[in-house]
Amino acid sequence: MRRLKSATHRFRSLFRKNVVESELDQELRFHLERQVAENLAAGMTPEEARRAAMREFGGVEQVKEECRDERRVNFFETVIQDVSYGLRTLRKNPGFAFFAVAVLALGIAASTAIFSIADAVLVRSLPYRNAERLVMVWEDSSAYGFPHDTPALGNFSDWKARNEVFEDMAATSFGGAFNLTGDGNPQEILGRSVTANLFSVLGASVALGRDFRAEDDIPGAAHVAILSHKLWVERFGGDPQIVGKEMRFNFEKYTVIGVMQLGFQFPDREAELWVPAQFTKERLSNHGNHFLEVVGRLKPGVPLKTANANLATIAKQIEKEHPDENAKIGAFAVPLREEISGDSRPAILVLVGAACFVLLIACANVANLLLARASGRRREMAMRLTLGASRGRVIRQMLTESLLLALLGGAAGLVLAFWGIPFLASLIPAGIAPLSKSEVNTHVLLFGLAVSIATGTLFGVFPALRVSGVDLSSSLKQGGGRDGVGTGGRRLRDVLVVCEVALAIVLLSGAALMIRSLENLYHLDPGFRAEHVLVMRTPLPRQKYEEFAARKAFYDEVLERVGNLPGVVAAGYTTWVPLTNTGGATGILIENQPVPPPGQRPIPNVRIVSKDYTRALTMKLIRGRLFDEHDGTGTQAVALINETMARQCWHGEDPIGRRFTRGGPTEKPEWVTVAGIVGDVHQAGLDVPARPEMYMPYEQQDFGYEPEYLVVRTVGEPMVLAGTVRKGVWAVDKEQPVADVMPLENLVDDNLAARRVQASLLGGFAGMALLLAALGIYAVLSFAVTQRTQEIGVRVALGAAPGDVLHLIFSHGLKLFVIGAAAGLTAALAMSRVLLHSLYGVSATDPASFVGVTILLAGVTLLACYIPARRAMRMDPMRSLRYE
Amino acid sequence: MSKPTDLVQGTLDLLILKTVALEPMHGWAIAQRIRQVSGNVLQVNQGALYPALHRLEQQGWIQAEWGESENNRRAKYYSLTKAGKKYLQKEEANWERLSAAIGLVLKTV
Repeated sequence: MRRLKSATHRFRSLFRKNVVESELDQELRFHLERQVAENLAAGMTPEEARRAAMREFGGVEQVKEECRDERRVNFFETVIQDVSYGLRTLRKNPGFAFFAVAVLALGIAASTAIFSIADAVLVRSLPYRNAERLVMVWEDSSAYGFPHDTPALGNFSDWKARNEVFEDMAATSFGGAFNLTGDGNPQEILGRSVTANLFSVLGASVALGRDFRAEDDIPGAAHVAILSHKLWVERFGGDPQIVGKEMRFNFEKYTVIGVMQLGFQFPDREAELWVPAQFTKERLSNHGNHFLEVVGRLKPGVPLKTANANLATIAKQIEKEHPDENAKIGAFAVPLREEISGDSRPAILVLVGAACFVLLIACANVANLLLARASGRRREMAMRLTLGASRGRVIRQMLTESLLLALLGGAAGLVLAFWGIPFLASLIPAGIAPLSKSEVNTHVLLFGLAVSIATGTLFGVFPALRVSGVDLSSSLKQGGGRDGVGTGGRRLRDVLVVCEVALAIVLLSGAALMIRSLENLYHLDPGFRAEHVLVMRTPLPRQKYEEFAARKAFYDEVLERVGNLPGVVAAGYTTWVPLTNTGGATGILIENQPVPPPGQRPIPNVRIVSKDYTRALTMKLIRGRLFDEHDGTGTQAVALINETMARQCWHGEDPIGRRFTRGGPTEKPEWVTVAGIVGDVHQAGLDVPARPEMYMPYEQQDFGYEPEYLVVRTVGEPMVLAGTVRKGVWAVDKEQPVADVMPLENLVDDNLAARRVQASLLGGFAGMALLLAALGIYAVLSFAVTQRTQEIGVRVALGAAPGDVLHLIFSHGLKLFVIGAAAGLTAALAMSRVLLHSLYGVSATDPASFVGVTILLAGVTLLACYIPARRAMRMDPMRSLRYE
Repeated sequence: MSKPTDLVQGTLDLLILKTVALEPMHGWAIAQRIRQVSGNVLQVNQGALYPALHRLEQQGWIQAEWGESENNRRAKYYSLTKAGKKYLQKEEANWERLSAAIGLVLKTV
């Protein structure tokens, strides 16, 4: 009630200002008159009575002001006053205003844009119910070079049956490509085979139709499918009657039973179709085939540590029960959020830090400008203080002005960020933030606002404190406004510039390290040449190509046609081109070597290829021979192995002509002879060293995996031939879907995309930092020159040579630079460790990078010194002496 | 002569509240009354009185009403509100305790 009343008072004061003012007036006048009457009664003359009353009362206006203050309306009024005054001062000084707003806009745009990405990847909640309880469960096969391996079905079944920590667990497998046939072009849809409980484990529901039921998942049950919202809209026009319709996928009939909610995606953006996996009992007890992705929902309150301990215990049991297949294979859970943000987390955090640095430099810059300007306004402020303004009042006014600047900068920065965020989001590859999209939302807007206010306060508070604390009489006595702030102010400005230089050095050296890493990766020999190579996928529908002979005929014919096209140098098939699959490995036994204990068998990658594949990729032949036309069906089985495999499996002996067999010691050996050794190819990533790897001709090997990547080396621009090559495939089978047509260079680029984005953003930020630091130095020096006009004039008049003047200015600038650079280098050396994960072929303390950026900044400093120095040098001593 | 700055912070508020607790009064009368009652020891400066009145009104301890003065002029009369009454009781008790404590110290030490 009381609060309400005081609020009404305040409103009354604010909106019925005239009434309140006149009441205040009346009240005080009444008091005076009453006092006059009293004095008259005491026997004074009317003149005396009035004067005495006035004297006793004191300053009427002052009392009024204090009464207004008590009513606190003043708060609103002063804000309005200060804002309009601030706007006026800014308008009077458009150059300063524009510069300050632009500098702030850059800083705020950078930090807001990065925040929007960080928000999307690291902060915003995942679109699942109680997403914090969701984890992915992996096998730890570090002993075989796969620390983060896809689990085997048998292991999944055992985890699910024996664990005490999960509410439920679901599995999905890389269901691969579903060919949608029927009306329209053959289209490939990436789908997932899933256990029926997947959606309920995730806590996601269908938008249309129903979820899978347990009976859909029984082997032999009628085929059903759930579509993604996107597929439903794009391929089926959002047909409301879709549920119950039949589709033909891979030449089999599926009934659509549901459509997922808009925006649902699991396990990645690509999945557009989910079908029950219908794992048989036999498959569910297979412990050797590792291909699942497993998601679990923790029971409420179960910490990750407990879950991991439980999984480890079960993994030990499984290891004992199946030593052949599960020796040294552990199990662990990773929170879904971490899994999704993955490697991008440290990269994004580094960028957030960099953006903060840019923002700090921008703040320092504006604070510097305000300080310089404040010295010009020192007299104005002294005047205000003398006329009775309190120190708080002056600080408030200065802060209002700086907040005004910050908000203007923030608004401009948000506009920049709006424009930049979609651009940034497009730079970020699917892999870096697969489930979230960066966008402008209220989070981002609020962040921008908060940053503006924080920066406004940060850069406004120093000048405000400085100016409001002036010694009144001395500043009023001073002639001009020029030497206002004195040495203290100059030192503060110098310190700010030193900080700018230091921050710029840190950013520049970080960017230099990143760029050098990127350069190293681009110049690295990945074991193949990606230029002039066209890649496309032609996954064969299982049902149509069940026979080995049919598959072989398809490959033979396509290679024959494509290989003979004009402009084609060589054409080959492979199961996976480099950078598309980190695994695809199989265990082997080597002839004349003792059978190693479980867990120590070599498990090289295996790639099933056509004979020209090595030529199409321009892989290096180290020794022996490549495949030729004699390596066909029925002849001696041969393989090419990479250098790593030669080294690791034959321990320095010559592997050429030696034999090995796939499969376990109990199986009948099918010997394969090593025909040649080829150079290591970086399969898993440009920055990932090669694993042992072998290549086998498709004519000789009837594997579980079939070659599906067609690789074509062309004479000219590869995409020019895309249409012709595709037609060549369709000439062999007009129903064959063709997917992912692209130059191989795209894969290389994608592989480096995250690094490239990080390096270019960091580079951009460093560039901004460099520019801002240079402007900071420039501003301080030119201000110093103006301040010291008289001094310089005296020196010149007394015979100082232009060189001496030059020296005066340069030594000031270089002193700032040296201190800043020393501090910056120290900080950079200490901090560059956070970049370690994204560095390649360069140490975190790479001297060349650090020296390079120091020289760069030194050059820019000299440039920033030169302009004010030249001005000082050309000063006419007579004019500068008179300058007042 | 006692200037308002000599008054312990908050004492003026207490005096005003106590004074208007008797009957509604305008500012001049409040000042007069405090002076008379204190035997001319406490002279309230107007420069302090009016801001204090406005503050107390703002806080809701007192309320103001325009009325006819003893010499037939319009004057602003302040009176104690319910909340003000409670506040005054609490403050009076505080004051008693404080002055008793100070007195005790002065006597014994």
